[in-house]
Amino acid sequence: MSNPAKNWQSPDAERRLAKRYSAERRFKLLGLSAVGLSMAFLVFLIGTMLISGLGGLDWAFLSGSDSTEPDTAGVWGAVKGSLLTMVVTIALALPMGVFAAVYLEEFAPRNRWTDIVEVSINNLAAVPSIIFGLLGLAVFINFLGMPRSSPLVGGMTLALMTMPVIVIAGRNAIKAVPPSIRDAALAIGASKVQTVFHHVLPLALPGILTGAIIGMARALGETAPLLMIGMRAFVSTPPSGITDPATVLPMQIFLWSDEVDRAFVQNTSAAILVLLAFLLTMNGFAIYLRNKFETRW
Amino acid sequence: MTPLTLLLLIAGLGLIGWLFARAKAQQLNTGRNALHSLPGHHGWYLALWIMLPALAGVFIWGIISPGLIHAAVMADPAAASLPAFDLERNAILSEAYSLANNPAAIAFNLDAEKLVPAVVAAKSKFGIMGAVLALLLAFAGGGFGYTRLSASFQARTKVERVVLLLLLAASLLAVLTTVGIIASLLFESGLFFSKVNPLEFVFGTHWSPANGSFGAVPLFWGTIFIGAIIAMIVAIPLGLMSAIYLTQYAHPDVRRWMKPMLEILAGIPTVVYGYFAALTVAPMVRDFAVMIGVSNPSTESALAAGLVMGIMIIPFVSSMADDSIAAVPQAMRDGSLAMGATRSETIKKVLIPAALPGIVAGVMLAISRAIGETMIVVMAAGAAANLSANPFASMTTVTFQIVQLLTGDQEFDSAKTLSAFALGLVLFVVTLILNIIALRVVKRFREAYE
Repeated sequence: MSNPAKNWQSPDAERRLAKRYSAERRFKLLGLSAVGLSMAFLVFLIGTMLISGLGGLDWAFLSGSDSTEPDTAGVWGAVKGSLLTMVVTIALALPMGVFAAVYLEEFAPRNRWTDIVEVSINNLAAVPSIIFGLLGLAVFINFLGMPRSSPLVGGMTLALMTMPVIVIAGRNAIKAVPPSIRDAALAIGASKVQTVFHHVLPLALPGILTGAIIGMARALGETAPLLMIGMRAFVSTPPSGITDPATVLPMQIFLWSDEVDRAFVQNTSAAILVLLAFLLTMNGFAIYLRNKFETRW
Repeated sequence: MTPLTLLLLIAGLGLIGWLFARAKAQQLNTGRNALHSLPGHHGWYLALWIMLPALAGVFIWGIISPGLIHAAVMADPAAASLPAFDLERNAILSEAYSLANNPAAIAFNLDAEKLVPAVVAAKSKFGIMGAVLALLLAFAGGGFGYTRLSASFQARTKVERVVLLLLLAASLLAVLTTVGIIASLLFESGLFFSKVNPLEFVFGTHWSPANGSFGAVPLFWGTIFIGAIIAMIVAIPLGLMSAIYLTQYAHPDVRRWMKPMLEILAGIPTVVYGYFAALTVAPMVRDFAVMIGVSNPSTESALAAGLVMGIMIIPFVSSMADDSIAAVPQAMRDGSLAMGATRSETIKKVLIPAALPGIVAGVMLAISRAIGETMIVVMAAGAAANLSANPFASMTTVTFQIVQLLTGDQEFDSAKTLSAFALGLVLFVVTLILNIIALRVVKRFREAYE
């Protein structure tokens, strides 16, 4: 106690310090290994799919439709089903989502009713996807009598699921547009609607589109709600319209994974590669949009 | 006339109205400030007056015309020979309708084939009536709109009122979806609980829908065991430590690359995880079980599904933890470091306790996501309703059973199918409660540091 400097350098203190430093290193290593483990799993997953699926990717596979024979089965029927479903989804979810976002962010009065709308949008974004499938089954198919297994019903169900994602992204994008833009437009005599549609929306568009693409990517990979509305038809010819029975890419993966024939393993992995390629392209495009058009005010 | 051509026709009329009214307004625009609204607004005003009444007419006609067609077909002499029994008659009628839509198809029933001309005639008759009605409404609306056009007419105000209504309607869709989910789940569950005692459903321990026993406790246990226990044992440490490493230790360049990589894990479709769990992870888990001496392990195990689900949840936990650690004020971190604490001590003793409410809320959201997850458990967890704590046992979950019960071809009002909606209701309520609590905690936590 007499000499603090000496006390600080005592062997006891140094031992304690060394212990603390090694704890520090251990902790850092633990963090690094957590990241490494997650990455390793990702690499392992994609590697497994590449090894077992790459051999099955050829033109016949990409252009063929489902078949009971693993050699002739292809993925085009499912891809076309997915495309048709996505067209319905985007046609419904994008305008509805953007309109709802504009309303909530620019026009909605602060009252109880607006709170209800907000709470329900935030909750819908977290509702398990299978619940949307139950809704689609109960309302679209049983109540409204729409054709089962069709891209129309599938697209509508997925649109309900995607809309909250677009609303939330849209609101953030609209919120990021500075008030000075609105003030300038209003000051020269534009109405509130003109201000929003001529000035705010175009500036918020990259953000909205990024959110929309991410929502679409999620919808494209979704299987559970479509299982509910019966989009697991065996479709040997590609669907020609949005009311034909169809299947989608994730569903095709699920159906093939159920096959007893081991030869379908290659097909399943190849279909997964096709799906991942689509998703990666969409996400890459979203990131590109964000980087290219993002404005820092 | 098909509905599509009718809609295109109405849109075409709207376009003509738009061009016409705009030209007219430009004519009225004699000098500075002569017009109240821009010519384009006048155009939209007239176009809306043409299209909205016509579309409303098409919509209402679409609701009432099937009844009229039905009446006309029944009045036809060919319908006199139909059986009086409802079910049979409706089957023949619906076949006749589908034949009328698709002439290439072959009739199974001779009666149906005889009805086809009557159906076709009635359909075209009422179709033309509907089209004429819609066009009349379009012209009437257009005529009225046209009389309103003048230089001082406030077209902008009127058009914008319609735009606002459209925006309001879009935001109501979200509420409508929520109401639709709750109403359909409650309705179907109500039917189910009129057949099965709710107490038996919630507290019964034997699940076997085929034999009419609906005790859902094994499903709840399986869901909690896989989604809230095994998956979280994987996801919480890995997610939390990843977040800590990436925010506190990693070089910004490393972070910029690692974070999107980690988020790829969240973007991979669940069906891919399910396939991976079933194909690769499940056999590994079984081999491991054999190695440590578990007798007779099954291929489908709770552990395989839970492990993969945990991996899927990592980025979710990580980004929630990231947000809440970032929300801790810098002054607290600086204070701790200035007192001589090492970085890991600061993290463990200051940052994590301060960020704990946010992290807990994130874990709750992660649990709600894990218990609602479907494809992984469908493909890897198995169908047997076991009530055990053995992670190597095959176990079933709420979502698995919903899929199982609704993907067969059975009639819609049996207790077996309806039980899926009761399970859906439980799932919805539980995830809703978890979400509401978590969002509230996050909000309060943010306010505490602002």
